[in-house]
Amino acid sequence: MLFKIAIKNLLGAKLRTWLNVFVTALSFFMIILFSAMYDGMREHAKQVTIDTEIGGGAYWHPEYDPMDPMTFEDAHSIIPRDLKLLVDQNKAFPVLVSQASIYPNGRIMPVIMKGITPEQNIVNMPTQMLVGHEEVTIPVLIGRGMAKDANLDVGDAFTIRWLDADRTYDADEGIVVHIMDTENFKLDMGHIWVPLKKAQMMLAMEKEATYVTYAEGLSVVKNKHDWIPRDVKYLIRDMEALIEADEPNAAIMYIILLCFAAMGIFNAQVLSIFRRGREIGTLMALGMTRTRVVGLFTLEGGLNAFLAAIMTVILFGPLLWYFGNNGIWLGVDYSDGAMGIIVEKYLIPVYSVGLVVTTTIIVSIIVLIVSYLPSRRIARMKPTDALRGKVTV
Amino acid sequence: MENSVVSITNLLKRFPVGGDFFTALKQINLKLQKGEFTGLVGPSGSGKTTLLNIIGGLDSPSEGTVTVLKKSLADTSHNERAELRRKNMGFIFQSYNLLPVYTVFENVELPLILNKVDPQERDKKVTQAIEWVGLSDKTKSRPAMLSGGECQRTAIARAIVHEPTLVLADEPTANLDAENSHHIMNIMVKLNKELSTSFIFATHDEKIMDYLRRIIHLDDGQIINDELIDRSKSGG
Repeated sequence: MLFKIAIKNLLGAKLRTWLNVFVTALSFFMIILFSAMYDGMREHAKQVTIDTEIGGGAYWHPEYDPMDPMTFEDAHSIIPRDLKLLVDQNKAFPVLVSQASIYPNGRIMPVIMKGITPEQNIVNMPTQMLVGHEEVTIPVLIGRGMAKDANLDVGDAFTIRWLDADRTYDADEGIVVHIMDTENFKLDMGHIWVPLKKAQMMLAMEKEATYVTYAEGLSVVKNKHDWIPRDVKYLIRDMEALIEADEPNAAIMYIILLCFAAMGIFNAQVLSIFRRGREIGTLMALGMTRTRVVGLFTLEGGLNAFLAAIMTVILFGPLLWYFGNNGIWLGVDYSDGAMGIIVEKYLIPVYSVGLVVTTTIIVSIIVLIVSYLPSRRIARMKPTDALRGKVTV
Repeated sequence: MENSVVSITNLLKRFPVGGDFFTALKQINLKLQKGEFTGLVGPSGSGKTTLLNIIGGLDSPSEGTVTVLKKSLADTSHNERAELRRKNMGFIFQSYNLLPVYTVFENVELPLILNKVDPQERDKKVTQAIEWVGLSDKTKSRPAMLSGGECQRTAIARAIVHEPTLVLADEPTANLDAENSHHIMNIMVKLNKELSTSFIFATHDEKIMDYLRRIIHLDDGQIINDELIDRSKSGG
């Protein structure tokens, strides 16, 4: 009975109802979009890192610590037998890491020089661009950000200075053979990439490497000597920590948006009760109990949210779908890693089942609470006051 | 007591005003029989509406006993009073109090929905009530599309659709012109005769005095005169 009356009241109020529903739907849309954008940003950062850097995982030289460049000097050795086998089968590729300095346009810049197998196809890096430059002393691959910072272009020459295995400084001329566009700033900023064999020769570290990255789906090899297997979970742990550190921000954003939606519904309810004081009195005079009147107004609030959910699907669903497929242009370029996390230029929201279910449950509970809170005042209202339209909410 | 619809003894009603109390009704003793067509008449502030509200269980007395349809209101809960109103009473208000988003049909249907009457019977009763008040051509109209007289006829249909024992009308003709007032009163006289429904009016409208068969004069919260009028000769 209450349901029928509530539906009649809602649909009968026409413009007033649809305005309330629209505002609530807009809040729902914003909650889902913003949360999905956060999820999309995280998911994208992980995916790009795995795709361009991690592959299926890596084996590290025991001395290697990517966060401490001072370890690079000792973090190299002959690749263990089973790992070499994987490399020979093109299921893995070695990387030799060292510190270096470059002198582009007369400036000095400390960099991390990485020797990589140009033919690898395990991670998404245009290393093939390092192939076929026999005439060049040291062919160098750099990222767009690095090129900008060092003011380098394809074909530009600059001096590279490094410390070899014999602890002797040496220098030679490097030439930029390709500038790559990568979303992973960790491959770009402060990095120069050279062919592995060239790096081994420059550093006097024949057949040596610092780490070996392997393809997805491989299990840990037995004969890895003292090299340490690092799986994807380990390799993205810093990013997970960053994301975890960002959780409170996401939660605050979520709560703010939820508050907007809740305030909209609360306001609509308060206004509704204030405007409909005489109607409340009439319903009481006709024999509706206070509990039922409270139930009716709470139900109307709940139905308001339900209609808003339907409107969100109908009105904003195509927009959410479009953003999900084409992304949202952020208008800011974070490819220099200023955010500390990989952020794409077009942010693609990810609408997970968890997000939709959690949002629906939380919003439903909030809607019921904010619909009930103003409505329960009706229970304290004197019918005679309500009939005179004397309502204090 | 057998045919008594309302029985009031030593009723006193006080309202808090500021730090003091205002006495709206005092020493009210009254008995109304089934089928009566009674008017509570008096100037503004005489306590008519307050008395009507107390009889309807919308307000409670400060002192004294009020028994409506054999139920002492002092011994009933909010919900029991709501049930009493829902099943046995109809209300007519000066400003109609129709629900603006409902059509005439839906407004009249509301008491039956509250009484959980099944849809088929509901349709029949609503159609009949709307016929009684002569609004069959306006069933789908909303209150905003109706004249004052039509709104009040809708309110009357809503008050009598569930065939209550008692109808309480607060200044039902105050917002209407003479022609509409007489039309409304004729409808209510007819309903009173055909359904034996008791009517209690709170009014100071001279136009409707000719229809009343009992006039209770109130002044300053007290009954100053209670007169029975024989209208059998005039046919009223």
